Amino acid sequence: MTVASPHLLWTPPRFRARTGPTEEPRWVRILLTAIVLAVLAVLLLAPLAAVLAEALGQGWRVALASLGEHDARAAIRLTLTVAAIAVPLNAVFGIAAAWLITKYHWRGKALLLTLIDLPFSVSPVVAGLCVVLLFGAHSALGGWLVAHGFPVVFAVPGIVLATMFITFPFVARELVPLMTEQGKAEEEAALTLGASGWRMFLTVTLPKIRWALLYGVLLSNARAMGEFGAVAVVSGKIRGQTATMPIMIEMLYNEYLSVAAFSMAALLAMLALVTLGLKTALEWRHADQLAATARH
Amino acid sequence: MNPLRALRPSSPLPGWGLAAGITLSMLSLVVLLPIGALLLRAAQVGPADLWAMIARPRTTAALLLSFRAALVAALFNLVFGLALAWVLVRYRFPGRRLIDAAVDLPFALPTAVAGIALTALYAPNGALGAPLLQWFGLRVAYTEIGIWIALVFVGLPFVVRTVQPVIQEIETEIEEVSATLGASRLTTLRRVVLPMLLPALLTGFALALARAVGEYGSVIFIAGNLPGVTEIAPLLIVIRLEEFDYDGAVAIAMAMLAISFALLLLINLIQVWSRRMTAEA
Amino acid sequence: MHIEIDGIAKTFGRTVALHPVSLSIPSGALVALLGPSGSGKTTLLRILGGLEEATQGRVLFDGVDTTGMRVQDRRAGFVFQHYALFRHMTVFENIAYGLRARPRAIRPPQAEIARRVNRLLDLIQLPGIGGRYPSQLSGGQRQRVALARALAIEPRMLLLDEPFGALDAKVRRELRQGLRHIHDSTGLTTVFVTHDQDEAMELADLVVVMSMGRIEQVGKPAEIRARPRTAFVQEFLTA
Repeated sequence: MTVASPHLLWTPPRFRARTGPTEEPRWVRILLTAIVLAVLAVLLLAPLAAVLAEALGQGWRVALASLGEHDARAAIRLTLTVAAIAVPLNAVFGIAAAWLITKYHWRGKALLLTLIDLPFSVSPVVAGLCVVLLFGAHSALGGWLVAHGFPVVFAVPGIVLATMFITFPFVARELVPLMTEQGKAEEEAALTLGASGWRMFLTVTLPKIRWALLYGVLLSNARAMGEFGAVAVVSGKIRGQTATMPIMIEMLYNEYLSVAAFSMAALLAMLALVTLGLKTALEWRHADQLAATARH
Repeated sequence: MNPLRALRPSSPLPGWGLAAGITLSMLSLVVLLPIGALLLRAAQVGPADLWAMIARPRTTAALLLSFRAALVAALFNLVFGLALAWVLVRYRFPGRRLIDAAVDLPFALPTAVAGIALTALYAPNGALGAPLLQWFGLRVAYTEIGIWIALVFVGLPFVVRTVQPVIQEIETEIEEVSATLGASRLTTLRRVVLPMLLPALLTGFALALARAVGEYGSVIFIAGNLPGVTEIAPLLIVIRLEEFDYDGAVAIAMAMLAISFALLLLINLIQVWSRRMTAEA
Repeated sequence: MHIEIDGIAKTFGRTVALHPVSLSIPSGALVALLGPSGSGKTTLLRILGGLEEATQGRVLFDGVDTTGMRVQDRRAGFVFQHYALFRHMTVFENIAYGLRARPRAIRPPQAEIARRVNRLLDLIQLPGIGGRYPSQLSGGQRQRVALARALAIEPRMLLLDEPFGALDAKVRRELRQGLRHIHDSTGLTTVFVTHDQDEAMELADLVVVMSMGRIEQVGKPAEIRARPRTAFVQEFLTA
């Protein structure tokens, strides 16, 4: 991304050579576009480039080798495992919550919507703290669970819970506006035609929401694999056991193992780029099947 | 028997019981019970002790820093986000769609990655940090400016994404009317367009602010974390937890929640007020 | 099938949609529920179809109480106001939906389903559109497809909610004749909801005028025209 030079900008058609009544003067347009692009280049492109440059500073072989180390592989495996549990569970929750909110009239709908959004206004670190307070070894529930051989905090279940907390609203938030817009007539039609509840859901509802569902799952997956603050608090950062990829990045960075840290970071950055690409493709190809408000 | 029965709406659509069961049990396990544990612990400690812990200089400094830096970043994002959204919707230039897509990068990029990347860039020997230091004598990394930059990064998409659809829906007729009535372009933008965007701008501002206040991953690498100077509140919570000072951590968390909700409430009120203003017009 | 509505009432929270109403619909009749919006006509139709639960009263189909009977078991062919065609399915799949949803034991084989769908497409005079999607159809075509889809399940009655509401005047006139034709050839008890008195008067054997959740008058079109029983009916007809 470079600062756009004036000749790259859109030239108005000749018959409207003068500034139209609903546009800014040409020099303003050029200046504003240039400023915006320059800031974006510094703010978005530069960090991405920095990650790649630092990772490949000693050649790609070294970078790749660092990812092959035992602890790094364990971190990658753990991150994939956590996402594989947390994301599907959140998808199920999102569908169930959206079903309740959009298909029935009942008191308490607004409250449910507010509660679903709650994690957005809670710091990830505070989310982690909450999980520690509920399930930590010193708490009644946590103590009981540890005594029965099921530790939550400083173990995988805690990481999954903290990750779910952070990504909780994503799927529901994509589905609710879309399903509100779609109404319930098609579901009712399916019932009058004799379909069972599951058949109605699988053949009518699910196909109508699949792209929005995928969109929500993509976003929540990206966030789940990258979550740092909440996991940092609950994981205990045990290398090779409870260190996820982001935690591993922090540990390597603090040990001045720059190439290893940035290689791991580059891997996650790649995931982010793939997510963005897929998300954009969905927006371009299936805009009609994502709610108008679905864009983030 | 089943409390859900009482709420059950009369509807032929199946699945109420199943969906309500899944929703309530997961909401409770993942969100409500953990937050309840925090509130319970805070109640056990008691307001006096909580206040005493919050009033410690290191804690107040951290809280002040977190909210001040979040405000600075959200204000920057408010102005820049509006400009960016306007350029993306109204102007045509090559690569526009690509840049539109790239705006969401901060949502997709893990915060720890953003944190070390920004630090590498703005460190005194970094690609941007070195020239800034040399030419302007400006230190970015390990100062509050570094915190601002990290928070601007994570909050960047919020204002853009809330304002963009509203700009798209403005009918140019409204602007044409203003022009036919003799208003200059600047007047039209200031008196006609801006008021229409105000509610969305405030929503985006509130979201960016809420995100920035609680942000941890992207900040701790670039901040320097000097107690009382560049130590943010979420980091202090982590430090208290590592010292097994759970009550200290709870106190800071409660302070953060209280201030966040007060701010969000305030923004909400302003929004209601501004909506009423536009509705009357 | 003979439909007996016996003291049906419906409230939504505090609003009363239907005061207790009773009505007898003879087998094979073509009945219009006529009234302005908010008169309770759609609520009554949805109760017949099992899409709403009545707060009190009961509905008898051929003398059998239907209270608590599931939507799926009523075999009421329902045509929704905006048709509610499955947007992600072709016209063929839409019409075949009800047959494919049957339990395996009574589900017709593929070839039989195809044969029936094609016969229905002929009946609605739209042969050869089976491969299209609802978004590729005109409003009038969608309405006819919705009708065919409802007929495919071999319903015991036809229930139509403002079947011509979303169409322009010319198409509306054509489709009225289409509905009349289908009613006459199938002999199904048919109830449709409308706010258009011309439509009700021209099409129906029996017109039920409703207002504010009550039935104002029931009668043949000519009767109602000649002797409006209440001030409301008189006013509504002259409007």
